[in-house]
Amino acid sequence: MGGLYLESRLGFLRATQNADGGWGYFPGKQSWLEPTAYSMLALHGAAGSDAAVDHAWSLVRSWELADGSVRPGAGIADGTWVTALLVTLASVRGVHDENVARSVGWLLRVAGAEHNLLMRSFSYFNLLKTKLDVSHEGWPWRNGNAAWIEPTALTLVALKKAAAQFPSAELDHRVREGEELVLARRCSDGGWNCGNPNVLNFDLPSYPESTGLALVGLQGRSAKEVAGPLDVGRRLRAETKSSLAKAWLTIALRLHGQNPQAPAEESRVSPDIMLAALEALAHPEGNHRLLATGGRA
Amino acid sequence: MNRRKFLTVSGAAVAGTYAGMKLEKPPQLPDGPAGDSAVAILRARSYSEDLVSRMLEGIQQCGLDVRGKRVLLKPNLVEFDSATVINTDAAVIAAAVEVFHKLGAAEVKIGEGPGHRRDTLDLADDARYRSTVPKFESIFTDLNRDDVSPVSNFAGESRFYFPHTVLAADLIVSLAKMKTHHWAGATLSMKNFFGVVPGSVYGWPKNKLHYLGIPESIVALNRQFRNTFAIVDGIVGMEGNGPIQGTPKPAGVLIMGRDLVAVDATCCRIMGIDPEKIDYLRLAADLGHVRAGRIEQRGETVAQVRTNFALIDAYKNLRLA
Repeated sequence: MGGLYLESRLGFLRATQNADGGWGYFPGKQSWLEPTAYSMLALHGAAGSDAAVDHAWSLVRSWELADGSVRPGAGIADGTWVTALLVTLASVRGVHDENVARSVGWLLRVAGAEHNLLMRSFSYFNLLKTKLDVSHEGWPWRNGNAAWIEPTALTLVALKKAAAQFPSAELDHRVREGEELVLARRCSDGGWNCGNPNVLNFDLPSYPESTGLALVGLQGRSAKEVAGPLDVGRRLRAETKSSLAKAWLTIALRLHGQNPQAPAEESRVSPDIMLAALEALAHPEGNHRLLATGGRA
Repeated sequence: MNRRKFLTVSGAAVAGTYAGMKLEKPPQLPDGPAGDSAVAILRARSYSEDLVSRMLEGIQQCGLDVRGKRVLLKPNLVEFDSATVINTDAAVIAAAVEVFHKLGAAEVKIGEGPGHRRDTLDLADDARYRSTVPKFESIFTDLNRDDVSPVSNFAGESRFYFPHTVLAADLIVSLAKMKTHHWAGATLSMKNFFGVVPGSVYGWPKNKLHYLGIPESIVALNRQFRNTFAIVDGIVGMEGNGPIQGTPKPAGVLIMGRDLVAVDATCCRIMGIDPEKIDYLRLAADLGHVRAGRIEQRGETVAQVRTNFALIDAYKNLRLA
């Protein structure tokens, strides 16, 4: 596989796996699904990593709940947005069993709580302090809360990847709705923030991390629709001081067929495990293709 | 529910659709707890002044004893924008680390869980925390991604998760920034506690809090964590469209106290905001003192340092007479 940059990150991930098979957000901390999922994707297919990835898969499957949702970690009682990450992992591993079907079902049942008649009426009469399009169904961090860009983008990836194995009109509908929500919540500067582009008639700025994630979720939209956002993504990638943003934007650009410049080989590895995994995925020879959705469901 | 409250509720759509819907008319302001509260106002015209001496003076005036305690410093670290005043200044944090060590704390840590999903370590780097605070990386915890444990009966929730670093602290020091805020009116030492809620469980922003209600959540967090102290960075605050897009406003003060309600009420008066019109302070009035007559001002008086902060149109009604 790739040179020092990629190998140093994969080596760091191998060295920091917990005894239970998962990864914490930082070395030595308790395992969480998020860093575990991205570490699994980064190590997928890497020489000598199969056993580590299989061990991690066993752990995250133990966090599945009867309703189909997935807990974000061993100590948390209820399922959250990380359910989307498990569905993506299942697609990557070719697992399409009943539990995964339940998780897909859970994602299809959950929608942002702001998408209701009352809020749509408020929005129609311009009574919200936020200029917000609440006409589309996206996904919240937690069931019962509002929809935001990151959980919506991650769920779009999960459902698009799962669509071939779990086809349904509802899945197609929710994917279209999710994409429309992302497009509708674009900030006036052309990118995305966490999902609230305006408050009290003040436009809020976009964030490069959210912009990268939004672009990942919008794979398969027409070139005309994403041309402007991709321009913004390239600009933000060049400007940002955030390593997390740079990783997500690089992944997004690669998934949209672009070839951003590879990082310097000697770049230091962050102690942030999720970041190290995302940087590995973003590398030209990294596994970013595992997040490819192949277009709309 | 009055019209402003209604709009705040609905305006919180993404920020929390039903948040304000459960708010009744603001309650009559309670008398507050027994006794008065000391709040110290210390002048500090720039970050290059001797902030350690100022803090030591203020802490002494407030009678805080930290000997043998595990102290967690909770700054307000929000955004990449080193050219503005969004974040608690690095010099204030470095001074606080030194001060609490000098005062005999057993341990001094720094923890923050920003409300937006940014790269926290790079954010701290950009805010000069890494370069200014000695051994920053070894004492800093990203509270969004710390290990967590549940507590019972938080804000009506049977189970709510908090970071181990927060739960293990004997004293949490809110190192807040003096800013206006487009949802709460002002963000000071009490609102700063939003950063102890882990994004790994509740997402970014901490939308669960918005659904519980922003004022209610501020109060619930401060009810949950009672061993606290506040040091508000008002050397240069933010006015206008805070907490992110406002403009710098030099106020030249550090405000300190053990009663965070009284500290925030004092900060409001310094900013030219009527604290009795701030919803979260009204709701918190059983935890501490809002009324000026119950706050013993140490150091400077409010009148000596009052510096009206510009308010956006939606909050013009908060202006203190």
